[in-house]
Amino acid sequence: MIPSLFRIFVIGRNTLIEAVRQKVLSVLLIFGLILVGSSVYVSTIATPGLDAAGLFDEQIKFVKDFGCGAIELFGFAIALLSTAQLIPQELHNRTVYTILAKPVRRAEFLLGKFFGVILLLALAVMLMTLAFAASLYWQETVGFNYVRDIYDQHMPANWQNNPQMAAQYHHDIQDIVNKVQDPQLIKAILLLFAKMVMTAGIALLISTFATSSIFTIITTFMIYLIGHMEGMAREVWLARGAETSIWQSGLTGLISLLIPDLNSFTIVDEILAGNHVPWAHTLNLLGYAEVYLVVLLAVSIIIFDFREI
Amino acid sequence: MSSTLPLSRRLRRAAWVALFLGLWAPFKIAWEQKIAHEQDFLRYQSVTITRELRDQLGQGLTIGVLGGMRSIVADFIWVVNVTQAWEDEQWFKMDGLINLCTSLQPRAVTFWDVGGWQLAWNTSVSAAHDLKQPDVLRRLRASRFWIDKGLEIYQRGIENNPQSWRLWAHTGLLYQQRLQDYRTAAYYYQKTSELPDAPVFYERFPALMYGLAGDDQAAYAAWAALWQRLTPEQRTQMEHIPTPPDLVKIRHLEQKLFIPKEKRIFPK
Repeated sequence: MIPSLFRIFVIGRNTLIEAVRQKVLSVLLIFGLILVGSSVYVSTIATPGLDAAGLFDEQIKFVKDFGCGAIELFGFAIALLSTAQLIPQELHNRTVYTILAKPVRRAEFLLGKFFGVILLLALAVMLMTLAFAASLYWQETVGFNYVRDIYDQHMPANWQNNPQMAAQYHHDIQDIVNKVQDPQLIKAILLLFAKMVMTAGIALLISTFATSSIFTIITTFMIYLIGHMEGMAREVWLARGAETSIWQSGLTGLISLLIPDLNSFTIVDEILAGNHVPWAHTLNLLGYAEVYLVVLLAVSIIIFDFREI
Repeated sequence: MSSTLPLSRRLRRAAWVALFLGLWAPFKIAWEQKIAHEQDFLRYQSVTITRELRDQLGQGLTIGVLGGMRSIVADFIWVVNVTQAWEDEQWFKMDGLINLCTSLQPRAVTFWDVGGWQLAWNTSVSAAHDLKQPDVLRRLRASRFWIDKGLEIYQRGIENNPQSWRLWAHTGLLYQQRLQDYRTAAYYYQKTSELPDAPVFYERFPALMYGLAGDDQAAYAAWAALWQRLTPEQRTQMEHIPTPPDLVKIRHLEQKLFIPKEKRIFPK
């Protein structure tokens, strides 16, 4: 067991090093970091005429939405591109023969490769999260300045000496801190990461029988889109009646049984809008992603084990 | 090196995959249904891509929504299209776009809050001063139309976000300033003051509104209730302010309403 884990770890580490050396992924990561950082700029394009409190609310929403959106978009692109070329590249470079000629099982090779992708995604998400945190910190400073300006301009000169006004000022500052340093954002990042890993798992499964990276990329992208509508297909399939044709039933059934429900992960939007999402629900979704990933990996291993290379 | 797999091997592979997926599928459906029910309960899955919504979004933005980028699409429409419509004074287009943003993200309070304000204040004031319309009555009717539109946005916002003190407070403000309906404003301010995180000063607003409505009995009851809630320390603090406006109001109402001395808060 331990030698097997060691082999998976070594392959994973090498996959990460190879991925980091690839210019495409590095460029994607750099663009991701730039986009996350530029969410601060996007937030300045706000509704004209808003008062400071409304302006801050709008700006913090934009920073959160664009920051997490950039993490999701570039994380998706990195997951897709890095996984899609894992096996085709090994086959094209013929390095797979060298590795499999050694006492390395195909399952270990596949898991090692996927482990490398997970490490790469973790690294990318970590860096983009740091840029996101910096954007939020900047926005928090802007918010503090807004509040101070309001009190200095609209309150009596000695407002600090009035205990009720001072208490309200601290309430307003705390309101900003609560919105910016929202511990729920950890849940959002975890859910985004889980969605990326699931996407990588789908790409890995397709690449085990695909003959080109392009096919894997296009098919995974389509599954990703369909995954956001799986909930609707499932509802139609479960509620099918006499008026449902056999084709409708068959198609919605196939989607419901095979495609993951990626739309459930859009609760990240609710977290970003400041609504409470319980940890129990987050863990339920993370558990779903994990189990689905195990299934994807198991099927990938079965297909790859039988593949003639 | 690669060659076609023998049929038996291909069948064996397909059988393994089918077996694995067959075992997983019922669990998958049950688990996803559980997640969906949880999300229904928590009011998350409130957006369905209807044909109407798809037509409003256009192809590119629909793909964005389908790709899980709902909030970004809503933000984009808000920042670019709503602002543009506002600058071009295309009020009906702006109303439609605000509704589109709130449909995409019904739990984002900002869209309801700012959207209601745009329609009930900015648009209605602009309509009231529209020099292209010479008929004053028509201008006033247009102004009232936009106030009602803004009110509708606020009220739908409250339905979707009943815990947002901001929406309750701003609906109260609309009733107070735009409709001069002080009794209804008092109701909304009362609701505001009962919500967590609402600024403390909203506690005084219902009493002030009843005063503006001319209902001195209700105003006195509201002031008295507010006074009763104060701790002894807070009362002492209030009495040390040279001319505390709340206490002046209570004293004034006690005299005006001929409250018997034994029932007064300030008998002297």
